Amino acid sequence: MRKNKALIVCFIAPTVLCLLAMYVYPVCRTVLMSFFHVESLTADVSAWSFNGVENYAKIFHNAGFLISMRNFLLIWLVGGAITLAISLLMAVILTSGIRLQGFFRAAIYLPNIVSAVALATMWVQYIFNYDYGLLNNLLTMLGLEKFRWLGTDAKFWAMLAAYIFGSVGYYMLIYISGIEGIPTDLYEAATIDGAKKVKQFFSITLPLLKGIIKTTITFWSINATTFYLWSKLFSPVQTESSTIVPVVYLYDTVFGGKGVVTRDAGAGAAVGVVLTLIIIAVYLITSVTLKSNDLEY
Amino acid sequence: MKKLLTMVLALVMLCTLCLTASAEEPVTVNFWSMWNSGEPQATVIEEAAAAYEAETGVHVSIEWKGRDINTLLSAALESGESIDIFEDDYNRIGQVYAPYTYDLTEMAEAAGYADNSYAVFNNQAIAWAGYLNSITEQPQVGGVFYDKDAFAKAGIEAEPTTWAEFLDVCAKLKEAGIAPLAQDGAYTNFSFYYHLVRYLGEDAIAELRDNGGWAQSEGAVKAAQDIIDLVNAGYLVDGAPDEYPSSQNKIGTGEAAMVVCANYVTSEINAIFGELNWGLFNYPAVDGGAEPTAAYAGANSLAISSYSEHPQEAFDFLMFLVTGEYDQKMADTAAQIPADPHNTAPASLTGTVETLVAADKPMTWCGALNTHEAWATMKSMFTELFEGKYASGEDFCAAMDALY
Repeated sequence: MRKNKALIVCFIAPTVLCLLAMYVYPVCRTVLMSFFHVESLTADVSAWSFNGVENYAKIFHNAGFLISMRNFLLIWLVGGAITLAISLLMAVILTSGIRLQGFFRAAIYLPNIVSAVALATMWVQYIFNYDYGLLNNLLTMLGLEKFRWLGTDAKFWAMLAAYIFGSVGYYMLIYISGIEGIPTDLYEAATIDGAKKVKQFFSITLPLLKGIIKTTITFWSINATTFYLWSKLFSPVQTESSTIVPVVYLYDTVFGGKGVVTRDAGAGAAVGVVLTLIIIAVYLITSVTLKSNDLEY
Repeated sequence: MKKLLTMVLALVMLCTLCLTASAEEPVTVNFWSMWNSGEPQATVIEEAAAAYEAETGVHVSIEWKGRDINTLLSAALESGESIDIFEDDYNRIGQVYAPYTYDLTEMAEAAGYADNSYAVFNNQAIAWAGYLNSITEQPQVGGVFYDKDAFAKAGIEAEPTTWAEFLDVCAKLKEAGIAPLAQDGAYTNFSFYYHLVRYLGEDAIAELRDNGGWAQSEGAVKAAQDIIDLVNAGYLVDGAPDEYPSSQNKIGTGEAAMVVCANYVTSEINAIFGELNWGLFNYPAVDGGAEPTAAYAGANSLAISSYSEHPQEAFDFLMFLVTGEYDQKMADTAAQIPADPHNTAPASLTGTVETLVAADKPMTWCGALNTHEAWATMKSMFTELFEGKYASGEDFCAAMDALY
């Protein structure tokens, strides 16, 4: 069949134009902006003044940004390890043929269909609350002193615990779909050969889930990088160092905060570029270290 | 005959066109509001717009943009979006949006606005922008808000004016079984800043922000030590500094008596617990302090865009809204301080109008510190101060110096 080039162009053009206007242009403008002093996000290009890598130097010397990066790394590394490990464990248990697995799947996934705002409010007001929160009630019942779960020392970990609770179900479903795609013959053969469940997990399930694990690490990295809502909900009035993350720092830098009128869209753009580079780096590292194509089934 | 008919018809058409063209289009003023539809403020603005249209024929088209209006306004004003009136913190209007704001000086003079507003806000707006560029809509004032019934129960008859008197009041309240002070973590920066201002004044604090030297500043050390002593004396309510609004709510439950905040704390607590018998006194002065009386004053204000095609109509609507009947309605409905000092504040805000009328220069919301690059860390350190993490004022100030 002869290709009708004009028709192909007509079909592709709207998508390409939308892609250029909505993705490529903002990305190029942000990267460019990160090398200029720009006060307002929408300032005309004629109002920009070139300042080389000063925006990058500024953010990497800024205590607020460095704390936000530390918090981000903890969310990514500690939160990621706990979330993905629990999700995988739940997925393995729920695909092992236990009773009521449908109920447990739904129950564990439930936090994902509840609004994050409602979920965070529940944690802040009903679980971590100093006076009548669930955790302090438990401590009181055990005869222990109440603990300030949302004090400066514990707030970050309280926020992370709540976030992990809300995330496990999502990653569990991804792992379940991956495990269910593994042929049962492999497990049957392993069972006949005398392999125990733990051995089967490390020798069959885990190697064959490499591709899925790579995907979940990438998803988690993106979610950790764009972490914003939970930080805002745990610090509703003003940004705090215990909950600040790079996107919140970016927001405050670009738009100012309570009583703060200074704005720096150039530095905000530099933060955006750094976050993008982090996601790309994580993706490349996981692609290199977790090659999924060496196993076929 | 045909020619005549053609000419007559052409004439009729011409006349019709001329008449249509000369008929005046009703003026529409576009208003971007920082409130959300359904909020008390929004309800009053809608009523005022309807009444203004009935009286003048000018239609006010309102878009409810919510509290994040600051993320939209710069882009909208820079791109010349069709906005006549917009609403935000007067701090941002005076400094961020100033190039896109209309000079209201002449219209304000003609309307006698100075007599129906607070000089403290007008002077500050002029200091920032170089001309009057905003009209105060929702004034705010800070200080120590307290439950008069709790004071009466503890036998306290006079409001404290000095830190020593304040500590006496705290002791009496504690004896009466009422925790003296509520303190949420979200406002520890405001509370400590207030105390610091009493010792040093905002200019000296700005010097500390820029150059450090907290440990060498006698006032800073004393201010931190006062807070440590306050905490050690057990004058904070149980759980404080708590997660907003848990601690301030304890005034509503009768567990605590006082809170350092701006006036909106009263309406927030009233909304949950019903009308309390509120009182307000200025933050106490300290011995040898540089700034014994300054009070926090802030405002959400209204401005007219510099490119508005209907500035006079927009200004007239603003006067309609922030003075007289509708301002009183706003004060009553939204439980806020009236923008027009001739109006009456709700009972829970008694004394606030007089405080604002008497003020000449406002204390800012941590304005001398909040531009420091480690501001987020400083705020957490202020919370730690109220958590009792520092052994002495010297320790705290040394930790502050370590940020430089």
